[in-house]
Amino acid sequence: MNDITIRIAGANGDGIDSSGDLIAKVFLNVGLNVFAYRSYQSIIRGGHVWHQVRISQNELHGPGEKINILVALNQDSIDLQSAHMAEGGSVIYDGSKSNVDALKDRGLNLVNLPMLDIVLKNGGDPLLKNVVAIGAIMKMTGIDIGVFSDIIKSKFGKKGEMIVNNNINSAKAGYDDPAVKNIMELKGDGKKRYMMDGNTALSIGAFASGCRFYAAYPMTPASGILHWFAAHQKLGVVVKQTEDEIAAINMTIGAASAGARSMCGTSGGGFSLMVEALGLSGMLEVPIVVVDSQRGGPSTGLPTKTEQGDLLFVSHASQGEFPRIVVSPRNIKESLYVGAEAHNLAEKYQCPVIILMDLYISEHAESINTFELEGIKVDRGKIATKSDGRFKRYEITTDGISPRSFPGTPGLEFIAPSDEHDEYGNLVTDFNAGIDKYVGIRRQMHEKRMRKIDTMLKEEKGVFVPDVSNADAEYFFVTFGSTTESVMEAVELLSPSGKKFGIISFKYLMPLDVEKTKALLSGKKLIDVEYNFTAQLAYLIKANTCIDISHRILKYDGEAFTGREIADKALELVSKW
Amino acid sequence: MTDAQYRSGEKPVWCPGCGDYGVSAAIMKALGELNIPKNDIMVVTGIGCSSAISGQFSTYGIHGIHGRLLPIATGVKLANPKLTVIGAGGDGDGYGIGAAHFIHAARRNIDLTYIVMDNEIYGLTTGQASPTSLIGMKTKSTPFGVTENPINPLSLAISAGATYVARGFSGDPNHLSMLIKNGITHKGFALIDIMSPCVTFNHDNTYDWLRKRIYKLEDQQHDPSDMAKAFEKATEFDRDGSKMPLGLFYKTSKPLYEELDPVIMEGPVVGRSPPTTAEVEAVLKEYM
Ligand SMILES: Cc1ncc(C[n+]2csc(CCOP(=O)(O)OP(=O)(O)O)c2C)c(N)n1
Ligand code: SF4
Ligand SMILES: [Mg+2]
Repeated sequence: MNDITIRIAGANGDGIDSSGDLIAKVFLNVGLNVFAYRSYQSIIRGGHVWHQVRISQNELHGPGEKINILVALNQDSIDLQSAHMAEGGSVIYDGSKSNVDALKDRGLNLVNLPMLDIVLKNGGDPLLKNVVAIGAIMKMTGIDIGVFSDIIKSKFGKKGEMIVNNNINSAKAGYDDPAVKNIMELKGDGKKRYMMDGNTALSIGAFASGCRFYAAYPMTPASGILHWFAAHQKLGVVVKQTEDEIAAINMTIGAASAGARSMCGTSGGGFSLMVEALGLSGMLEVPIVVVDSQRGGPSTGLPTKTEQGDLLFVSHASQGEFPRIVVSPRNIKESLYVGAEAHNLAEKYQCPVIILMDLYISEHAESINTFELEGIKVDRGKIATKSDGRFKRYEITTDGISPRSFPGTPGLEFIAPSDEHDEYGNLVTDFNAGIDKYVGIRRQMHEKRMRKIDTMLKEEKGVFVPDVSNADAEYFFVTFGSTTESVMEAVELLSPSGKKFGIISFKYLMPLDVEKTKALLSGKKLIDVEYNFTAQLAYLIKANTCIDISHRILKYDGEAFTGREIADKALELVSKW
Repeated sequence: MTDAQYRSGEKPVWCPGCGDYGVSAAIMKALGELNIPKNDIMVVTGIGCSSAISGQFSTYGIHGIHGRLLPIATGVKLANPKLTVIGAGGDGDGYGIGAAHFIHAARRNIDLTYIVMDNEIYGLTTGQASPTSLIGMKTKSTPFGVTENPINPLSLAISAGATYVARGFSGDPNHLSMLIKNGITHKGFALIDIMSPCVTFNHDNTYDWLRKRIYKLEDQQHDPSDMAKAFEKATEFDRDGSKMPLGLFYKTSKPLYEELDPVIMEGPVVGRSPPTTAEVEAVLKEYM
């Protein structure tokens, strides 16, 4: 078997997450591809949570469907998870705590592992139960137990020998327990791979591009970015947890005005609070990067579940018109590059860049073979060095971009106003409002700012167009952001169907190179796939290109989009085309 | 050194007689005496008649959005603590829509000078009640009189952790200028709340009304290091509407946010070059 899914399930407080991480690490370290996904709840103790690790010799694009090995830490886990078992799958449980009578006739491999007993013999920390189970999993999948010892030594080495030994002994006891039998051999290629979630990748990318300021108010699923920057601030990033998201974005604007590459992050609720200041950055032409990691809405919505419901909101948020860039990374690796690119684009075009993540990409972890760091270049855009006479911060230029200056530089002082202004930054809204000359200036200024969209479309060749794969296919999925990975999996699953499917995936959603996008989409059989109810990408496409994508696969229940469900629905649509 | 270098020369937008003229003059005078290079000054304002003071400066500045000048100023300072950052705005801006930021900026003790032109009214929006309007005041939005207790910015600032709390009067620019100058040189969050009459929309708290009530703390040997006394003086007008003290209520020394932050203490982050590929690779290694 070359593609297995392991799920560990229990209650909040059972250490499910750290165990999931350990399981992933075991397989990562022998050189296998790993995809980790967790389901959690907005409570800290109790309830029901699970963490799932899918393992394969091939690259993975989804969390896996059926469970091959279930570790059930309590009765709930048996009752709630058994429906998801793969045929002939294994259930590891502790017979002293749980009853599996209901599973008896299903052809499952029931492994009664005395986790509690073993723990009591090895120091008694109840979280070691999970480690016993990990030992058992390693035996079942043919992984040398030494792999676990190495991980524990590097992870807990500093915490002392006793902790290390208790862990190793617990794992060994699970490995050697007579109830546990080897059922498969999972062989890795021995290559070293990275493993991280999207928030981490995004943060590293931003750091790599020289981001020196990050402000946020905690909100799932964006908090991981705050935690990453807080843990890494000594690398030279000012990190500010603020009183609210309004403060977060305004501080970001302040720091960016001072000359630091700056970013803030939140989820939809916090983004709602940031909206007024988003327009401020547009008007002042201060480059900022804002992350919205979406979760299920509206309102508090589904705090621990995913959605792509903010696309139209972030694309149009704030009063008036100003250039903005909206980008939605399609996988974890791309999140790192986007984290870097966003800062270049913001500074080159002096406008806000919104990175649209979602809980799914922010919080699931994947193995990644390599990162090509050479591609990360820093371009800080036009910066003024001198001025003849009073500095024209908002000089009217043909490309719409006016060189900026940073406080501290002599001779280039200016006041940046949120009111409409002339080239110097003088208001045209007070004594001058309504006077012909200043009406003209308003027109010129507005056009100057909006012209930056044409400039970016011209300069950033191929950036603001979707990517096409399988160009000769008969049907094309149209999608954006994280859903792209699920669609890729669907395309793989569909290959035996005899019908050929391709993908048109959007990374940049605003602005769009309308002509090129239209050319790519027109004349094709299109199926829109996105994680929301109203098909917001299809709406955006229609508004830009007049192309109506009426075939749609939409999901909005918060759970991961699997390749299988997309594939099944696609075949259904195709059969009636 | 003259204060002319800090002036843009732009014509102010204020009504004749507006208190904000005096505030502008006092800030310019303070800057002139301190002689800080104008390229090292960042003036951040909000929205309101008072916030239009930004137009008077030839320094760096941001004329931001309503109520958000403190977070903007904080961001500037966190990125480049070498700058002299001055926030200036109205009572509505700072104590109404921006009240949360006011409290948090005070408790952070960042080295900012925050100047509030407190006219006890919303001037720019043509005369509605403000958070400092007194009970009973009739305004366009409260034709039957204000029914909410006014905010006391001074006692609020002291309890929130501000380390320099003063009140001035725009009718006394020399005294005011002294308070502002000391606020700028003070290391920490300095609030200067200024009684700055709106001659157009506030017919209650006029120059005359104020002159009848004000007196200077300096003349009474007030000890600004005594927090209990500071509260007593800061709340005097609340208890006895006939007396309004001016001057420095409270001053103390606490570590600056900038000195405690593990990154800022090593110098401004602006101007640092991006990390090398080797540095990024070292970070990536954590995830292998
Ligand atoms: C978000 C937002 N709400 C409302 C306004 C309208 N507005 C502009 S200034 C102001 C109040 C000004 O009062 P204050 O801050 O005391 O300044 P003053 O004009 O009295 O100097 C209001 C409500 C705005 N600009 N932005
Ligand atoms: S309306 Fe009041 S606050 Fe505004 S400029 Fe006139 S006098 Fe000053
Ligand atoms: Mg006011």
